[in-house]
Amino acid sequence: MSGIFWHILVFGVIGIFLIVIIYRTLAITRLPVHLRWELAPIPHEKGKGRYGGSYLEEYEWWNKPQHRSRMAPIIYMAKEIFLLRGIWEHNRALWPLSFAFHMGIYLIVVMLLLSVMNAVFIIAQVALNVLNVSLGIASVFALVGYLLGSVGAVGLIIKRALDANLRPFNTITKYFNLVFLGAVFVSGAYAWFSSPDFASEMSFFIKGLIALDAGVALTFSLSLHVIISLLFVLYLPWTDMIHFIAKYFTYHEIRWNDAPQDEKMKKELRGLLAQPVSWSAAHVEANGVKNWADVTSKKTSDEKEA
Amino acid sequence: MTKRKLKLTDISKGEDTQLIDINIDEMMPLPPPYDKVEELRGFKQLTDDQRERLVCNLDGVVSYAALPKPKNKEEEKKYVEQFVSGLKKLLSKENNWTFLQPLLLSIDYCAQCQTCCDACPIYLASDRNDLYRPTYRSEIFRRLVNKYIKPGGKLRAKVTGGDIELNWTTISRLYELSYRCNLCRRCAQSCPMGVDNALISRELRKLFSQELGWAPKELHEKGTVLQLAVGSATGMRPNVAIDNLKFLDEEFSEATGIDVSTPWDKEGADILLIHSAGDIISFPESPIAFTILCNAAGLNWTLSSEIPGYDGINYGVFYDDVQLAKVATRHAQIARKLKVKKIVMGECGHQHKATMTVADRVLTGDLNIPRENVMTFLENIVFSGKIKFDPSKNDFPVTLHDPCNLVRNLGVVEPQRRILRYLCPQFREMTPYGIDNYCCGGGGGLSVMSDVNFTDWKVFVAGRMKFKQILDAFSDQPGPEVKKYLCAPCLNCKLQFRDILDYYEAREHSGIICGGLAELIVNAMVDIKNPYITWEEY
Repeated sequence: MSGIFWHILVFGVIGIFLIVIIYRTLAITRLPVHLRWELAPIPHEKGKGRYGGSYLEEYEWWNKPQHRSRMAPIIYMAKEIFLLRGIWEHNRALWPLSFAFHMGIYLIVVMLLLSVMNAVFIIAQVALNVLNVSLGIASVFALVGYLLGSVGAVGLIIKRALDANLRPFNTITKYFNLVFLGAVFVSGAYAWFSSPDFASEMSFFIKGLIALDAGVALTFSLSLHVIISLLFVLYLPWTDMIHFIAKYFTYHEIRWNDAPQDEKMKKELRGLLAQPVSWSAAHVEANGVKNWADVTSKKTSDEKEA
Repeated sequence: MTKRKLKLTDISKGEDTQLIDINIDEMMPLPPPYDKVEELRGFKQLTDDQRERLVCNLDGVVSYAALPKPKNKEEEKKYVEQFVSGLKKLLSKENNWTFLQPLLLSIDYCAQCQTCCDACPIYLASDRNDLYRPTYRSEIFRRLVNKYIKPGGKLRAKVTGGDIELNWTTISRLYELSYRCNLCRRCAQSCPMGVDNALISRELRKLFSQELGWAPKELHEKGTVLQLAVGSATGMRPNVAIDNLKFLDEEFSEATGIDVSTPWDKEGADILLIHSAGDIISFPESPIAFTILCNAAGLNWTLSSEIPGYDGINYGVFYDDVQLAKVATRHAQIARKLKVKKIVMGECGHQHKATMTVADRVLTGDLNIPRENVMTFLENIVFSGKIKFDPSKNDFPVTLHDPCNLVRNLGVVEPQRRILRYLCPQFREMTPYGIDNYCCGGGGGLSVMSDVNFTDWKVFVAGRMKFKQILDAFSDQPGPEVKKYLCAPCLNCKLQFRDILDYYEAREHSGIICGGLAELIVNAMVDIKNPYITWEEY
């Protein structure tokens, strides 16, 4: 396969991936503001986050400035994303396989970014020794990433199938996702070992895409890997595997969202409280016309019961 | 327990057959002398008559005797339709803007890694019974949503596996199962994705309450409904509340030798203090301790006798957004009318969560009156220098229970500890503590629920991990000859502990009593000549 086939395939898949990801992300951001549901620890609480404290510990907190740390949430999330801290602390038996699986993904992503950079180096005719170092790093990242990812994916499939703790919750979709991603890793490893210089081949392929070179061509093993990977990229945004996006919201917008009302929120809340309610239970006293403000607020009686 | 390995699809099978039996022998063991199962009172089993009349198809425990049984297929179909209608409303912006984003994210992004399970004290105490996994009810709920609400759901459920049938058995078991969770959110805290199984339990309860009108009578009919109608879930009307506290003022004036006088309905006061009215009845030392401390510190404060201004509980936070908002709004309206500068809540965890944070975005405009937590309020009094203390008066072992709603959910961790470290020479922490604490087992409204044999479940299963923690905290002096104080600054937690300590006769066997924080502070006051904590009365 050569010519513009690869251009159409690669750019088409990336385009669809971005459109779906952006659409699903926007769908989450457009959900209405919710009631506060924060959960300690909230790392941005400067001086208190380390033990799980919040600004509510301050005497008359509403008269005091809030000291928020910018770095602490980043460090917290970095540990969570790159070291899988939650699984390490609460599910140690799962951690080695899950860590290998995720680290495989991260290394492949870094390898791809390096390959894009190498492609630019080739186009820009950067000094050969610089390019060689970069290609060497990309090659190592690719090999380690593919091997870790393969071990992680195969291990997780076996663990899911055998572990009595996980088995009752398995679905065909869960297995399919693991098998699919496992195929990406295994085909990548196959391509690496089949190629005399995997990193160069990948970088020249990307250079051909960037430069709109009609003569782009790949070996069978790398073609197989690229096609499986692109199919996976096409499939990914439709699944729950985009939890790397959702996680931002579950942490920043729910667990760590301890913001008191501000003017923008007040305006949105007024709109939400004006929406009709149609819950059917008698005590709600809703009829599809009364709004939230109506059903939750009764006039204050000035008279006390005798 | 008879059936340990449950499948998710079991929830809809077997009609009136129980899914599991509870067997105390198989639960997490307790330290001596509570390890001798044969010496304990047995789990209250349902009678044949109760089994005939009541819905008891989950674990042999009934939390709501009034749960209706369908008389025929048409009625069963009606309930199924109502449930599906409720599911749709839960996922609509108009009817559930309050929790739509957290709910959808928790439905869509669970990785099924089961990391949350070992964070759940109920699951651990039950020796890892599948039924009590935080993920068991959540995954069933998730699959029902995916099948019955999402486009192409029925076909997808058949193709991808895990198809769960929605019938009366499923619905009735899910109802009961939603009340086998303390909503303590330890599971959410441990979830790498940020998925919140406790929220799903609450959303299920909300669906049943707001769509089908099903909720435990202690939370709804005799809870929020009674509170909004007469002023308090205890049934106390305003004049009775005033009379009771006047009586307590006099009694404690005599006992303590200082003038105890509780102010009512003082317009323009700086502080509106809202106790849980249950404290007035069940733990009167608590509200009186507040009166003593506020007066000694020279604060300009008041209670309100307006309905429901003298009862700060808000059970809506456990099961119903509408009831939550109604109660919170009424409290804020009362504060606005009294023209106070701030509201301070009594020692009650869920009251704090409801009033300070969950209802924060319901109290708009001039109802958004500043609200302060009680631990910080007490800390400010203790360290104000206006009251003299003698910590040696508290020289007995003290441990602290962290109410989940105050600590894990609000992040109020240190103020109460600074007080205890200052005033209690033998203060020791439990393990784990702070935001990692275990729930008392009465969280999520369970502490006030006592229908049929539900109290036994609270004590045997839900409260088991906490009881073990308490015993471990005092393990250096386990015998009854050393009096020990379990400080639980929350009415619901105290009610749960009262049941646990009574059941195990822990006062007799281990010398443990339970009370609040304010009582310990007053007990250390130099001006109080007689001990405020009289061990005999607890």
